[in-house]
Amino acid sequence: MATNKKYWKAFEDLVDAPVVQKLRENEFAEEIPVEDFLGDKQKLESSSTTRRDFLKYLGFSTAAATLAACEAPIIESIPYVVKPEELIPGIPNFYATTYFDGFDFASVLVKTREGRPIKIEPNPEATFNGTTSARIQGTVLSLYDSGRLQGPMKDGQSTNWDSALAEIKKELTTQAGNGKQVVLLTGTVISPSLKALIAEFAAIFPNFRHVTHDAVSASGKLDFYQKTIGKRALPFINLSKAKLIVGVGADFLGDHTGQAMMKEYGMVRKPGKGMARHIQVEANMTLTGSNADKRVKLKPSMHGSALTYIYNGVSGSSLSVGALDDMAKKQLDAIIKELQANRGQSVVMAGGNDEASEAMAFAINKALGNVPSVVDTDHLVYLRQGDDKAVSSMVNDMKSGSVGGIITVGVNPNYTLNPSLGYAEAVAKVPVRATFTDRLDESAGLMTYALPLTHFLESWGDAMPTSKTYALSQPTIRPLFNTKQFEEALMVWIGKDGSYYDYLKSYYNQNIDVTLGSKGWNQVLHDGVAMVAEEPVAEDTNTNPEEEAPAMDLSGAAATLKKMADGAKGMEITFYTKAGVGTGVQANNPWLQELPDPITRISWDNYITISRKDAEELGLFNEYNSAGALNGSKVTLTVGGQTLENVPVIIQPGQTHGTIGLAVGYGRTHSGKAANGVGVNAYSVMNSGSWASDASIADAGEHEFATIQIGHTMMGRKIVNEVSLSDFLSKDVSEWNEKPVFETYRGPLTADETNLWDDFDHETMPMWNMSIDLNSCIGCGACVVACHLENNVPVVGKQEVRNLRDMHWLRIDRYYSSDMNEEVAAEQGIGAIDKFQAMEEPAESPEVVFQPVMCQHCNHAPCETVCPVAATSHSAEGLNHMAYNRCIGTRYCANNCPYKVRRFNWFNYIGNEKFADVNPTQDQYGKMVLNPDVTVRSRGVMEKCSMCIQRIQLGKLEAKKEGRPVKDGDVITACAQACPTHAITFGNVNDKESVITQAKEDHRAYHLLEEVGTQPSVFYQTKVRNRA
Amino acid sequence: MHYESPIREPLILGDKSYHDITVDVAKPVETTAPRSWWVAFSLALVLFLWGVGCILYTIGTGIGVWGLNKTVGWAWDITNFVWWVGIGHAGTLISAILLLFKQKWRLSINRSAEAMTIFSVIQAALFPGIHMGRIWNAYFVFPIPNQFGSLWVNFNSPLLWDVFAISTYFSVSLVFWYVGLIPDFAMIRDRAIRPVQKHIYTILSFGWGGRAKHWQRFEEVSLILAGLATPLVLSVHTIVSMDFATSVIPGWHTTIFPPYFVAGAIFSGFAMVQTLLIITRKLFHLEDYITIQHVEMMNIIIMVTGSIVGVAYLTELFIAWYSGVEYEQYAFLNRATGPYWWAYLSMMTCNVFSPQFMWFKKLRTNLIFTFILSIVVNIGMWFERFVIIVTSLHRDYLPSSWSMFSPTFVDIGIFLGTIGFFFVLFLLYARTFPVIAQAELKTALKSSGENYKKEHANHGHH
Repeated sequence: MATNKKYWKAFEDLVDAPVVQKLRENEFAEEIPVEDFLGDKQKLESSSTTRRDFLKYLGFSTAAATLAACEAPIIESIPYVVKPEELIPGIPNFYATTYFDGFDFASVLVKTREGRPIKIEPNPEATFNGTTSARIQGTVLSLYDSGRLQGPMKDGQSTNWDSALAEIKKELTTQAGNGKQVVLLTGTVISPSLKALIAEFAAIFPNFRHVTHDAVSASGKLDFYQKTIGKRALPFINLSKAKLIVGVGADFLGDHTGQAMMKEYGMVRKPGKGMARHIQVEANMTLTGSNADKRVKLKPSMHGSALTYIYNGVSGSSLSVGALDDMAKKQLDAIIKELQANRGQSVVMAGGNDEASEAMAFAINKALGNVPSVVDTDHLVYLRQGDDKAVSSMVNDMKSGSVGGIITVGVNPNYTLNPSLGYAEAVAKVPVRATFTDRLDESAGLMTYALPLTHFLESWGDAMPTSKTYALSQPTIRPLFNTKQFEEALMVWIGKDGSYYDYLKSYYNQNIDVTLGSKGWNQVLHDGVAMVAEEPVAEDTNTNPEEEAPAMDLSGAAATLKKMADGAKGMEITFYTKAGVGTGVQANNPWLQELPDPITRISWDNYITISRKDAEELGLFNEYNSAGALNGSKVTLTVGGQTLENVPVIIQPGQTHGTIGLAVGYGRTHSGKAANGVGVNAYSVMNSGSWASDASIADAGEHEFATIQIGHTMMGRKIVNEVSLSDFLSKDVSEWNEKPVFETYRGPLTADETNLWDDFDHETMPMWNMSIDLNSCIGCGACVVACHLENNVPVVGKQEVRNLRDMHWLRIDRYYSSDMNEEVAAEQGIGAIDKFQAMEEPAESPEVVFQPVMCQHCNHAPCETVCPVAATSHSAEGLNHMAYNRCIGTRYCANNCPYKVRRFNWFNYIGNEKFADVNPTQDQYGKMVLNPDVTVRSRGVMEKCSMCIQRIQLGKLEAKKEGRPVKDGDVITACAQACPTHAITFGNVNDKESVITQAKEDHRAYHLLEEVGTQPSVFYQTKVRNRA
Repeated sequence: MHYESPIREPLILGDKSYHDITVDVAKPVETTAPRSWWVAFSLALVLFLWGVGCILYTIGTGIGVWGLNKTVGWAWDITNFVWWVGIGHAGTLISAILLLFKQKWRLSINRSAEAMTIFSVIQAALFPGIHMGRIWNAYFVFPIPNQFGSLWVNFNSPLLWDVFAISTYFSVSLVFWYVGLIPDFAMIRDRAIRPVQKHIYTILSFGWGGRAKHWQRFEEVSLILAGLATPLVLSVHTIVSMDFATSVIPGWHTTIFPPYFVAGAIFSGFAMVQTLLIITRKLFHLEDYITIQHVEMMNIIIMVTGSIVGVAYLTELFIAWYSGVEYEQYAFLNRATGPYWWAYLSMMTCNVFSPQFMWFKKLRTNLIFTFILSIVVNIGMWFERFVIIVTSLHRDYLPSSWSMFSPTFVDIGIFLGTIGFFFVLFLLYARTFPVIAQAELKTALKSSGENYKKEHANHGHH
């Protein structure tokens, strides 16, 4: 009940005396005698402020001002009036959600603190793509990207959603009324509810088209499966059932078809009897090829013919084959032999975007009986749906003027399409143009309306990544900007009331049949994923399933592949995506730009990879300058008549002679301050195929690279211990994992036994150890980005990486094998100087190993003894601590670290202008991603891996609250959690039941540089290579 | 009175009386500076100010303005530090050890050698400070009571030993030097005409009266300080060498370092004394006091210590091979044949090869040759430290972390700045302090002065 109570301050007020009235009108109750004071000039002049007084006042006010300036600025924070029930400051909440950007898909858990998403973790409930990659880990920073479009725009002016949506609808209706087409251009859509909304939206217009465009397309493969199994979808590869994996140009550990196979790959490659063998035939040195047991170098034009040759071999057919040389034939014969021995448990994967190659690979798998056990045609993957033919016919229609309106959603065709297609000119002819985009990208400038999309962490959604998987997305934060989901706009246009959340929920209830227990909406939302029996009712608008699949036309495919091989001329270029930047959607993510490429170890660039032989013939060079920074040639690249200027060149060991590689996703001009101007746009010379022949390059000057590793070989040292599977199985451990032994007066002793120091007590408290399985590590870099997120590791930008000052707490060293070793030197009588010089050179076809290295937490740490102020010291739990507050920055510890894992804050990364464009901490939104549990380090202090001490403390605290000792699995480091192959294990070795204790006792375990006597808490597991 | 054999060369040439010595030594202090002094001083001052600018830039922006990287955490900073500390060894060695051994030839050079010691230790002491990432917390290295509970410095760290070694050495050297200066300041005080000058030198001379008691105390304090300073001469560079020797880095982890560093320090210290004194004797006309014989004596020391250093270099190579440790072997092979072969070659040429010329009397008594060689030696000794620090760090255990080092203009600027600072101090010293310990030198006049020796010889004939 409202009251009209009046409160009075004095009786005069109550009776409303005139004096009160008067007082109310005046701001000041009494007049201030300013006029009296300053008006009388005479008096003022005669008044005496002596020089002494003046100085006194001056002195006082200076001192007062100085003191006042010392006070810290007051930052007001407002407490909750009503605290949300689930939100406890300091305690993180986790939400399951789903990421899909048209290329990458993952089921993830989002860690939020005080309402801010700050970390992405893999969702352990997920059965499909439940692992994270570097890019998935990095997505959380893309949420806080200040380069995002923050409100709807029309012709470059701000507008509001209501009028923009209303205008677009009106204009589209007008155009449709004139008989013009209305085109919706999206990336791959896997959301059933969105598809349903699109279908409803389509029904409004008589002439509607939904075109799907994937930047890196699998259109050719999809065309094949459309014809063969009647679905525009790819079969699920059940890698866990494979004993022999053959990739022909298929970078399945990188980005093949969107299906993440790393986990299964790691599982089947566990050393022991039955360890799967992996053979890779490829042109570039890919992440997949670098992990293979055997790698065959072959030009991309010959990949198809290689598949035909294999098919002929396994099936006994005699299809026509392109001109393979004898060397290739010999290697392929060996592969055929092995495939025949592994019928029903092998898989041949074809790369690229080519119908005939996929047909041949599928035919091989069929002939070997690998379908459907390994190549599962009953379980379809929907992550690639782009249709290249539809895209080009759409562009032609736009040119001819038959398109009246175009709406693009989450795609950037002006960047990802080859300019020769003429998208930019075509779209200008469309009267109504609107784009839903996360930023004013290269394509948004061509559109009348630019409408901002929400980030996936701000969105609701559902997804059907495969025919058996259903996933939900939920927002973890309110939209930061004035953005909408495309679904919301569609609902406005269709005229649906309510929110998209309501629609999604009712759609779920009506259409989704979740198997495996009757899970309700809340449970599925909680889990993030569910298994479904059948595809939901809403049909893909794009596909038109045929009743009967026709027989495969293999001789036709073989002829196409032969023509491909015979028709190739000049240099052949393979386009690929990098582990960090991928297709370029997240190009403005500094973490991903700074992540060094797993193979070349170069960050902040894309470049042509070329073989040494070709580089020498063309007069191209790579060399390190006096500061250890890499310089190299840059060239003008011409592919089929189109040129790309200023492309840097890297000489890549293992690159097939006569081929070059170039990564897409770079060369952004309208992405944001971190991405703009980094690299060159490879899409501009790429057609829908993943490779092209007739490429040529011409020297055009010098380029400066940012690389973090300049020593490429192990120099004959036992750094990555490696053994062949046969030796591993048959020989004694002392033959392949020998412990260093020292001759002493007490006889030969190991490093642990010869000891100058008193040991710490490692019994009372938990003793934290980490095992890194070099056999499982594929070098993908997910752990590196995860470590960045978890530990607020600064991003330092291209110049500082070039100066060899990356701040990575965890790095993945990559070593190539060299043609020179002790035996060769002894055999040929080569002296030590020449031997070591030759050892520095990687082989032309090297074997590759990856080794994640972080602080080894030595129990006799060289860093601890040398710090003059004891800023780094040992814990009772086997950890090497770093007290940032105490550090004075002598860098003595870093010098004395045999593993070189300590990182110094050379600059004030959080304040120095030089890093404003790259370091998220300097961005008003970017700083929201910081983990509040971890200190942001200041200039001049040393930092390094802490084994995620904040997680250890949390784990111990939780155990303590529950009144029990810490148990295995309570604590997991960010790197271990992010690793898709579970190469990293972390735990307490005083817990004899723990997984880490088993790992420590494994025969494969060894300490890095054990002979230095550092007694690390980190140990490695010997790599086992399954050589034939 | 002490009698000296006529075969020994006289230490003071010409027909000098006590008064002549007084006048000669006091002259630079009492006359106005020549043009050449002003030119040299201005140049040094400009370099010094440039260095100050570079230091302030470093402190304001961060150590990142230097050429260091994640693998090479020390380069020019610590190279310069060790180089300057090394140079700062000759003075105290001359005045303390030669005093204990009663080497009278030290008398005319010890003052300037000690001044050089103090000024170069000042340069050296700069680097451990400015190489810190957070110099504003530099006081953490002192074991002072604090509010952090039982937080104490790390007594295991050689860097901490450095702090003690350098500060002790500096304070003892300074006191020793100052004690020696007292009678000489008194001499200038007594001769001073201008009241301000007189006042200043009165304060500086601590009321010296020249009484027998004063002399007795003077002698006793000198002897005690010499005794204290002597072990310090050996300990300072031993401890500096332990910064490296106690580490685990191949090329650093070497037990030969302490004697090798001390020999190298004396080597470079004497070279610097040569450089300075050859100029000083010329400009201040002190040829009668700092004679060719002095130069020759010091050249012999340079030759001997240079050869010791050479043996140490070869021993290192031998031990690397003999140890059978692959990292150690590679470290030394890489020094000689890797990307920094030129630095190793410069070191070998300057430090081992060039001092061998001193076997020839003609060369070791040639002033111009000596001057050039003294500079060559100091270049070589700078390279020695660079080779030890940078080539060991840049390629250690894991090839993935190998790197290179290249200095920035700031690295170079700070180094030049310390050279400027050193000369600013030395040039100021040369015009305000008695550059020869005249009071002590006078004690040797009657035994080792040329005229007195001749007189003795004549008497002998009678």
